[in-house]
Amino acid sequence: MATLTPTLTLTSTDATTDQLAFSVTDSLTVKAPSQGLSTIIVDTTGANNIIVPANADKQTWVYVRHTGTTDGSTTTTQHCDIELTGDVAIGTLKANEWFWFPHCGNGGSTGVQLQSVSGSIQMEYGYWSDSTAQ
Amino acid sequence: MATTTATLSLSSDMLSSPISISASSTLMKAGVTEGLELIEMGRGTIAETDGSKTAEFGLPTALGEDKAAKLFLVNKATDPTYYIDIDLHDTNIGRLYAGDWMFIPWGMNDTASELVIEAEPSGATCPYEFVLLQEPQTLEAHS
Repeated sequence: MATLTPTLTLTSTDATTDQLAFSVTDSLTVKAPSQGLSTIIVDTTGANNIIVPANADKQTWVYVRHTGTTDGSTTTTQHCDIELTGDVAIGTLKANEWFWFPHCGNGGSTGVQLQSVSGSIQMEYGYWSDSTAQ
Repeated sequence: MATTTATLSLSSDMLSSPISISASSTLMKAGVTEGLELIEMGRGTIAETDGSKTAEFGLPTALGEDKAAKLFLVNKATDPTYYIDIDLHDTNIGRLYAGDWMFIPWGMNDTASELVIEAEPSGATCPYEFVLLQEPQTLEAHS
């Protein structure tokens, strides 16, 4: 097993008079199955772009980032939906935005899929299985 | 324009090629190059005996489709067996164990996208903290 350390830093100097600045970190013990940093060209059919296979009860950490391109070089501003398999929408990523989320099938046998709102989008992703409560 | 930046750093000692990821984005309103301006933050506590609850931030009003929002949520419990189930309305989408956090774009469009939390297992009590960044809401007429 290995340790995965995610850190979020949220900052703003002008959103409010009281400046926003905080950082939070975590230490996760992870194991197989995992998918290291990868890319996928996402189309408009979510079922074609499953990045985390369906499972009933695994705690899986999911990282997804919109590269802002269709293929690594051609710019796009199209949005990408993040969904559970079965087309349950969680949210939408715009160009260069990212997502960090603890997916758990929790008896429902669901995975995670991506779906472009229009056209093709190159997305970056990875997932790692948490060693706790499988 | 408000400029709020969220940066994720991921590192690991796994395998022979350690992971080192840094992803940063400026949090924008939908469809424009203006930053999200409304920031709500706070803390709460949910116990297993509370059952399934819509969180303080879980059912925003006056937001239609194509609005942008980002949600940070952390489980501040210290017992490693205590976790918070995260549901979108009736669908479980994940869980946060003690000390774990998430940062997601949230399609907070309607009741179907209400965010519901539940502490587990039996006897669990989970303090939590949140930050919700969103677009300005329509002000309500006074009563």
